[in-house]
Amino acid sequence: MQIRYVFQEGFSGFQRAKLSMFAAILTICISLLLLSFFSILLINANQVVESLREKVEMEAFLSDSLPKEDAQNVKERVAALEGVREVRFISKEEAAEIFKAEFGEDIYKVLDFNPLPASLKIYLKDGYKTAKAAASIHSAVKSVPGVDDVIYRKTLLEMLDQRAMTLLWFSLGVGVFITISSIFLVANTIRLAIYAKRKIIQTMKLIGATRGFIRTPFLLEGLVQGLVGGVIAAGIVFLVFNYLERWVSVQLSDFVRVQSFYYGVIVGIGSILGLLGSMISIRRFIGESVAS
Amino acid sequence: MIELENVVVTFDGQRVLDGVNFAMKSGEFVYLVGQTGAGKSSLLRLMYFDLKPASGRVQVAEHDTFGVRKREIPYLRRKIGVVFQDFKLLEDRTVYENVAFALYVTNTKRSEIKKKVLHALADVGLSHKRNQMPHELSGGEQQRVVMARALINEPSILLADEPTGNLDPTSSAEIMELLTKINMRGTAVLMATHNYDLVRLYPARIVQLKEGKLMEVELKRKK
Repeated sequence: MQIRYVFQEGFSGFQRAKLSMFAAILTICISLLLLSFFSILLINANQVVESLREKVEMEAFLSDSLPKEDAQNVKERVAALEGVREVRFISKEEAAEIFKAEFGEDIYKVLDFNPLPASLKIYLKDGYKTAKAAASIHSAVKSVPGVDDVIYRKTLLEMLDQRAMTLLWFSLGVGVFITISSIFLVANTIRLAIYAKRKIIQTMKLIGATRGFIRTPFLLEGLVQGLVGGVIAAGIVFLVFNYLERWVSVQLSDFVRVQSFYYGVIVGIGSILGLLGSMISIRRFIGESVAS
Repeated sequence: MIELENVVVTFDGQRVLDGVNFAMKSGEFVYLVGQTGAGKSSLLRLMYFDLKPASGRVQVAEHDTFGVRKREIPYLRRKIGVVFQDFKLLEDRTVYENVAFALYVTNTKRSEIKKKVLHALADVGLSHKRNQMPHELSGGEQQRVVMARALINEPSILLADEPTGNLDPTSSAEIMELLTKINMRGTAVLMATHNYDLVRLYPARIVQLKEGKLMEVELKRKK
């Protein structure tokens, strides 16, 4: 097969069938934009959830009757628990200072004694910042002798877990939906474009063109359409996240970040979409009878 | 060259061809006559492997219906020229490109393509219209382009399905002259038609399809 022929035919649509070419590129572009914005939002939403999770810590208050020397002991026992990354001891005096920093008042002036207990600040390892893991660490810490009470943001964690699951299922559902409809949409548009070329395909078969000979220019065309659609979509995404905020005075970049490799992914997915679409569509037409 | 043995073709349970036997030697000219819907097109489709018989054997050149593999069909078709009533020209390219297309398909060298196409167009008398688009030509001219395309790979068989079906008498006569010329050069021609006037003007062997059967017929002389 002559490369020159394949390229000539593959790119001929840009001249001969401008409208269907435009429709295919537009379809690919819109599908990609939908997918891109959706996944960018998803990735960022996920990052927000994760950053909230990062902030989860536990505080164990030590019994006031616990001698200072034993506090070290308790700290070591807590630090040895599964899922605990770091433990920091906060003495009664430090607690008073934190109080002063937070409320601007000296606790001794308010109460003339320090009711704040010494405590352990417990930082959890990654992967243990879920409601379930935190609950079991919570009860483990609580059962250490000398620990009076343990607090952590239980409801926040539970909410995050729940929301994360909802987010996951929701995004999975929407993502699958968008992907499948994109493939169908693209395949359909390309099918329409190829339908217009049925006669050409029939004639090609009639004069003895092989399957590969008929297919290759169409696949190239699909690939090029996908590539162009992908570049346009990537361009729009880039414009939206880099320039839009100047006009709408909303700092999008504060909560949405788009990494540069992402633009490559958009173009790549576009090309695959175009190639797949034309592959699916051309199959049917090649199988048709020559005389019909 | 072409041999059919006990060929049966059914469409939706109906037997369109019911035990057809036919043989055609190389270089022969044969008319295939019969009413519309008698199965002439189906018979031709068998020969360019666009249709498989329900039973029986079809042999074209050295290829057999049963022996032929799907991927061999394109190569087989290059040895057969096919001409249709509705031309099947590529509307989006010039006369030259339409004829050259048959050579792209067979991987002919660029330099050779030009020579061959111009030759073929001269043969059918359309050199001067090489840059026209198909829709700018008359029906007869379009059919001549198709013939140039069908012949450019020098097939040993030309199958013509009602090639004059859409043409006026003058254009039909031109096409017949061309077909005769092609046949004289050694290409076997099988032409389906129901234009008996043409058959009378250019006498040759005639086979008729009637109720699914194929029989040899002699044309009665007009009195």
